[in-house]
Amino acid sequence: MLKKLLGNLGILILVGLMGFDTSTLQGANPQSGGTLIIGLEGEPATATAHLATDTAALMVASNLFNGLIGCDMNFNPTSDLAESWSISSDGLTYTFNMVKNAKWHDGKPVTAEDAEYSFNEIIAKVHPRGDTWWPTVESAKAVDKYTFVIKLKSPYSPLLTILSNILVSGSLVMPKHVYQGTDPRTNPANLSPIGSGPFKFKQWAKGSHIELIRNENYFKKGLPYLDRVIFQVTPDAAGRLMAFEKGELDFLHWYIVPHEQVARLRKDPRFKIVEKGGESSATNELLLFNHRSPYLKDQRVRQAIAYALDRNDIQNKCLFAEGKVAKSHINSGVSGFYTDKFDYKRDIKKANQLLDAAGYPMGPDGKRFVLRDFWSTGRPYESRASEIIRDQLKAVGIEVKIESFDRLTFVDRVFKKWDFDMAHQLFTTGPDPMISVTPRYHTNQIKKVAFTNGMGYSNPEVDRLFDTEYKVTDMEKRRQMWIKIQEILMRDLPALPLFEIPIVNAVSAKFNDVITRPYGYIQSREEAYLVK
Amino acid sequence: MPSPLWGEGAGERHDGCLYMPWIQNRYFRYILSRFLQAIPLIFVILVINFFLIHASPGDPVDILVGLTDADPKVLQELRREFGLDQSLLVQLGIYMKKLIQFDLGYSMRYRQAVFDLILSRLPATLLLMGVALALASFLGIFLGVLAAQRPYGWIDNTSTFMALAGYSMPLFWLGQILLLIFALKLDLLPAQGMVSLRAPSEGWGRVFDIMKHLILPAVTYSSYFLALVFRMTRVKMQEVLAQDFILTAHAKGVSGRQVVYKHALRNAMIPIVTIIGYNFGFMIAGSVLTETVFAWPGLGRLMFDAIMARDYPVLLGIFFIISIIVILVNAMTDIVYVIIDPRVVYD
Repeated sequence: MLKKLLGNLGILILVGLMGFDTSTLQGANPQSGGTLIIGLEGEPATATAHLATDTAALMVASNLFNGLIGCDMNFNPTSDLAESWSISSDGLTYTFNMVKNAKWHDGKPVTAEDAEYSFNEIIAKVHPRGDTWWPTVESAKAVDKYTFVIKLKSPYSPLLTILSNILVSGSLVMPKHVYQGTDPRTNPANLSPIGSGPFKFKQWAKGSHIELIRNENYFKKGLPYLDRVIFQVTPDAAGRLMAFEKGELDFLHWYIVPHEQVARLRKDPRFKIVEKGGESSATNELLLFNHRSPYLKDQRVRQAIAYALDRNDIQNKCLFAEGKVAKSHINSGVSGFYTDKFDYKRDIKKANQLLDAAGYPMGPDGKRFVLRDFWSTGRPYESRASEIIRDQLKAVGIEVKIESFDRLTFVDRVFKKWDFDMAHQLFTTGPDPMISVTPRYHTNQIKKVAFTNGMGYSNPEVDRLFDTEYKVTDMEKRRQMWIKIQEILMRDLPALPLFEIPIVNAVSAKFNDVITRPYGYIQSREEAYLVK
Repeated sequence: MPSPLWGEGAGERHDGCLYMPWIQNRYFRYILSRFLQAIPLIFVILVINFFLIHASPGDPVDILVGLTDADPKVLQELRREFGLDQSLLVQLGIYMKKLIQFDLGYSMRYRQAVFDLILSRLPATLLLMGVALALASFLGIFLGVLAAQRPYGWIDNTSTFMALAGYSMPLFWLGQILLLIFALKLDLLPAQGMVSLRAPSEGWGRVFDIMKHLILPAVTYSSYFLALVFRMTRVKMQEVLAQDFILTAHAKGVSGRQVVYKHALRNAMIPIVTIIGYNFGFMIAGSVLTETVFAWPGLGRLMFDAIMARDYPVLLGIFFIISIIVILVNAMTDIVYVIIDPRVVYD
């Protein structure tokens, strides 16, 4: 059966479009010029993507470098440095034909050798998340000047999705002639990068801003439109929003737009709330349960909490009705895999029955036991959520003690020391759940590393599904396996999905096409243009 | 040939020794001696801070990889690169050894020499602090003197009320309110940063641009210290103005203005100068909040980011530089005492 499916796949040879995806520009008449100023919540540690995966660094790097491929809003691969690609019938060999007119900012040509160097020496050895997908690769080689071939050890269906998403793969092509023979972590080019992207590095005024200018020799004809893209570091949320309203900033990405202000901004004609561009992350807010807690190790207690909470009320109050309840461990935006069939509805009676059955009867003071709930500073909705949860769990006799920490202390307590009962955490669930969901709940992810399975959840049945599903190339069969995974996860509740983070980017109405991709918040601004 | 840098008469003497008359200067010698005395203090400050910041929970390599579920091999390699896999004592030894060679180390987060990082941020903070301190000192003394002359008059009452407000309002809140009024509603001043990014200017245009950006942060930053200086000046001036020699000066026919500014203020200045000098260190702490609210690219924000990222070398480097600045300012405050009051003599 698998062989037959692979045979079908062989027929399916994907060929990217020459140039770039023009669908987003229909009906518009973009002209050159203008400066787009993007607000950043913190100073990026680097302007390249191989050292860090923080949003600020990726937002800058995506304008300076290119990947092999990108993807459109429907997650179909689109060309970038690779103008076309094909997959062998056995699903093991991916051949990328690279564009021949791309040049580095110092004038040297971009070739398959650069891709070979980037994958083997940078992604495989230096990139923080290289181990999430690189171990599936047998080899990555330049077979001639403009042909780059990746061979896999076994079929791996999310590969193109991963390559198109720099957040998960870091697969930007770096200049071999700049990095070869040096330590890619300390190369001075990390602070004044030489890329192939639509914009060239001009200056980094430390603590203030990073300025990029148009690459006149960009290989995509007619692009970019903007003269300059500037990233201004604006650490205070209130000051940042005022600068945006005043017109000093043109773009705030979805993680930093204050939800309580969205309704007001939406009514103001000077701004646009763009509700796309975060689909590839598809982020859920979760309440993690520590399975080492004497209470929470009992599945009935975890289920009782799920029944006791009114998550619609929580999301309404936390996100000011901009979001929606997360009904599974996969976000509803990951349309190929999501199901809400196994969600919980609030049922206080059932919650009390489960807690009684677990052996925790209500005391005369109306209390059964105490749980600690941790959240980390910087996300006001988590603070609000913990307070609402404390109030709602009172009804079933669970007393909640809230504690908040700075991010690193939080990571230390929850993911390194496993010293918590319940904790608030954002988890991405896209673009493919294999990349983002599996690493949270697989037994082999119980390790003292940030954002792994700090809950200590282990279920051999779900592990078996995790280990096999990504090798299945029949999408329908894979989808069924993921529905089974969601059923198990929602029954076992390693964590309770609370709400989906709404994709609400704030953009000045003076600009169009600032966001055209499902990873829009960190995408290149090559298609963005000033409305004249 | 005399070197302009070292002043008149500097250069090589006929006997081959370097002649530097400024070394003879008693103020310079005083500052130098204070500084030398402070070396053990700086050492203790650094050792305590070293252990304190390492004791705080959180692993800096998590920030280095962008807070992600990074490959443990990569994390281990980063720990090795920055010497975090060594024992704390070994790390301290390495740090101190480098420090003796005037090497403040290498930022883990920015992968840059700490000294260069601090140097790139220091001017912005010094500018902000300088302007705020000058504003707080001059305006505080001026209003304090006026208020002391007519206690409970309208100037006194208004200034006292403003001082109380300035003293009690949290800096970040005041900053946000000022932003809301002057940047957003009245559209008079810029909201964030130190320069206009959309329309960059050169020469004098740039100077004016920076001044425009400086107004709100400087006013916010100075509010607390202005209140302190005002209160101290008012109290001390009231005390001095009630003394007999003031009456004598009036009786001798000295003009009112001269009595106030020449006789009374000079006698009231010592505690005022103390307050200003003493609070200098606190001002640096206050710079964190002001620089955050106004996105001012200074040292305070670098310090805050370094705390959040557990960038130990940067933090220790900033503590080191701040310690030196505070010691220098205290020494200079002592010298100002001598200038204000010739009766003060240091052995």
